[in-house]
Amino acid sequence: MAASEAAHGEHHASAGVDNRLLLMWIFLASECLFFGSLISTYLIFKGESLVRPLPDDLFDIPLTSTSTFVLLISSFTMVLAVHGAQHALPKMMKLSLLATILLGLVFLGFQVYEFRTFGQEGLNLSTNQFGASFFVLTGFHGTHVGVGVLYLSSMLFGSMRRNGLGKDVGTHLEIAGLYWHFVDIVWIVIFTVIYLIP
Amino acid sequence: MASNAHAAEESHGSPLGPKQYIQITIGLGIITAVELAVSYAGLATAVFVPILIILSGVKFAVVVALFMHLRFESRLFTQMFLFGLVLASAILISLLAVFWNDPSDALGGGELPPLEGHGAAHQLFLGAPDQL
Amino acid sequence: MATAAGTLSQPYEESSVWSWLTTVDHKKIGTMYGISGFVFFLIGGFEALMIRTQLAVPNGTVVDADRFNQLFTMHALTMIFLAIMPLGAAFFNYFLPLMIGARDVAFPRLNALSYWTFLGGALLLTSSFIFGGAPDGGWFAYAPLSSEEFSPGTGLDFYVVGLLILGTSSLMASLNFAVTVINMRAPGLSMMRLPVFIWMMLVVNFLLILSLPVITVALIQLLFDRNFTTNFFTASEGGDPILWQHLFWVFAHPEVYVLILPSMGIVSEVLPVFARKPLFGYSAVVFAGVAIAVLGFAVWSHHMFTTGLDTVPQVVFSASTMAIAVPTGIKIFNWLGTLYGGNLHFNTAMYFAVAFIALFTIGGLSGVMHASPPVDSQQQDSYFIVAHIHYVLFGGAIVGIFAGIYYWFPKMTGRFLDETQGKLSFWLLFAGMNITFFPMHFLGLAGMPRRIYTYDSDLGWDTWNLVATIGSYTIALGVLVFLVNFFQTMRKEPTAGDNPWDAATLEWATSSPPPEHDFDVIPVVRDRDPLWYDRDHAIAKPERPAELHIHLPPPSYFPLLIGGGMLLLGVGVLSHLAVTALGVAIIVYSVWGWALEPTD
Repeated sequence: MAASEAAHGEHHASAGVDNRLLLMWIFLASECLFFGSLISTYLIFKGESLVRPLPDDLFDIPLTSTSTFVLLISSFTMVLAVHGAQHALPKMMKLSLLATILLGLVFLGFQVYEFRTFGQEGLNLSTNQFGASFFVLTGFHGTHVGVGVLYLSSMLFGSMRRNGLGKDVGTHLEIAGLYWHFVDIVWIVIFTVIYLIP
Repeated sequence: MASNAHAAEESHGSPLGPKQYIQITIGLGIITAVELAVSYAGLATAVFVPILIILSGVKFAVVVALFMHLRFESRLFTQMFLFGLVLASAILISLLAVFWNDPSDALGGGELPPLEGHGAAHQLFLGAPDQL
Repeated sequence: MATAAGTLSQPYEESSVWSWLTTVDHKKIGTMYGISGFVFFLIGGFEALMIRTQLAVPNGTVVDADRFNQLFTMHALTMIFLAIMPLGAAFFNYFLPLMIGARDVAFPRLNALSYWTFLGGALLLTSSFIFGGAPDGGWFAYAPLSSEEFSPGTGLDFYVVGLLILGTSSLMASLNFAVTVINMRAPGLSMMRLPVFIWMMLVVNFLLILSLPVITVALIQLLFDRNFTTNFFTASEGGDPILWQHLFWVFAHPEVYVLILPSMGIVSEVLPVFARKPLFGYSAVVFAGVAIAVLGFAVWSHHMFTTGLDTVPQVVFSASTMAIAVPTGIKIFNWLGTLYGGNLHFNTAMYFAVAFIALFTIGGLSGVMHASPPVDSQQQDSYFIVAHIHYVLFGGAIVGIFAGIYYWFPKMTGRFLDETQGKLSFWLLFAGMNITFFPMHFLGLAGMPRRIYTYDSDLGWDTWNLVATIGSYTIALGVLVFLVNFFQTMRKEPTAGDNPWDAATLEWATSSPPPEHDFDVIPVVRDRDPLWYDRDHAIAKPERPAELHIHLPPPSYFPLLIGGGMLLLGVGVLSHLAVTALGVAIIVYSVWGWALEPTD
């Protein structure tokens, strides 16, 4: 152990943290500005639509609440996956990871259904400012969920190889978890600010 | 030496276990339910909007602190993330302040007739002067 | 060494071309950034010469109005995104690990990916001249000029896609560098012992990390407006052209500091070395840099005083803009304090560094003038603003970069650039720059608007326009002398020792040019000026060990592949969906290979 530490002694961490974790946290700070700008746009265009439909014509709060709970549960399974990885419980890790991926897909399914319904009721990108800013905001959130599903799937796929994810599995999962939870907290904000506050 | 390094790795993670995570998730679910109840309760806007914002802020903080382990990690991570978060909020608030107080903005919400007559609404606002 | 199943094996070749294409070495990547940046500097300069030739005399006929619009737009985009930023990134790539005593950056492959992504975006943006016309809406692409209706060609689409790709590249590079500075410092090198250049670049990285997402959102909205029927910026449909201006300037004002802070950092390295005394007021310079960055996020609307802002925002943004002059002034006084009482050695690097202080001060002062909304509404969109930004960006950023080139050339190549030719080049650039841009103050106050492609002779603008054009050719001559100097120097024998200037920072502790592993022994830092401390306390350089067991990250194909995939993705948005799909497929395949590739 000591010998291998010395071999990597070049990479002493002057701030005492893992480079990859630090990268992800700074990246998430950047993502705050990304979603902050999208949410700002949505709020600035509130009341600027020239034609209906408007949010109160379309929003189905029980439906969206269900998908919100789905994402919340996926955060729980994600944290279990990280726990499993960090405490050498590979079975727990893989099962939780699988559950998280499936819940993410269910959330995306809800979103596809919502987009289709809104489309049928006459809202598309060009209808009004609500349509444009709503679809772009939630669409990019959905894209982040989709990227997260791919990211977690690659983790699951990687963990099934003969060597698994290697001795760094805890850190790998932790970083993936940071991304997944961030996507969840963005939804917490979207759900309140866009759906619940009329 | 080896055992020391191992211990350090252990303490690197979160002290919470599955049991605590279940409790936190239930708590988050309850807050979401309260949010829903508040939004359906028919309270005045000045009352329920702050309540909703505070509740979702609590959820946000719990997920970041406990699920993302920020509470148990280096303070450096907290500083990095908070910097982005605070800056994003500041820019959002100043943009909204600039736009929502704009006296030249003639169009406001709630002026549109209901959906049934939306063909007429289209006519009504076609070519309306939009100062923004 | 294990090979990742189902993907490419790692490259081992030493042959010249492949070793560059697959390199993850920060020095090679820095060199590539430098060469690309300088080539684009020449392209941007050529565009500027076309503009000045057109404006030399009234009713010029060198280019038509349409081409003129493309030229001034691309001149700005090229100089900002393809010349000054990569030249700053070149120095930072090359010297960040050397100055903090590390063997490489935190994520070497990500670093290579940043470069290839940058190159793809740069080529895409520049190729727009061939494919149906370059962007022509100004580098700020204000709505509604940027809409389908008023810019029906593909120029603005090249702008959107090009900037999105370049932004991705900058974001990856900035994340990588920020982690490196925070977490990869040599033993003893605390944050408050970091060289000022590293500090300023760290600030730049955070500015980019926090401002790029905002322009990304604005560009996505513009992309959707132009291609997917949204109306974010179409006033007649309820959209808001002013929203674009807000989002653009929330990014673009910090971007101005992204351009100038690297040069401030370079000058803060050069002045102490040739004044033979430590930087005056180190902490004040560092804190002023951080303060500029924080305030830089609170001033964006001063670009928009004439858009009908309410009184309160006008007052707030005016006050915050004036406040930024305070930390800037602190820096200027500290540089003067460094010179005061110093044993000044005036070589070419020092010439450029001192010229930077003077020229940047002029640009800074005219900048404070526009902080006042009534004054700004007189100067808005006039040549006065052109004069201001060129004093900051040429007199500041470019002159600072030249100081860095002359200062670090011996370290990067082992050779000294010729001093006689260097000083000739300096005087041509210095004189040319002032002859070009100072008269623009007069032109602006005489009412000449920016971005007009020609003018009548009875407006009283003839003389100073001709003078400015003569100045621009003088600048071109200065750059030519530099190029001759460069190529002649590269044929000479390397004679520079490890530390020819007797400088204080760690990059001078290793050989010139540095070995691939940077340092035989990782240095230990005992002071803010480590090499001067070691010299004065007679601390010998650590012995070179008989055998070096240094593990370096192996080269990789994947950065190049992913960069190519991103370029295809962008090309696909501009042409055919199938190309995008191919790009995505390459990226997914390469990311998988990247993840499985052993890095030990």
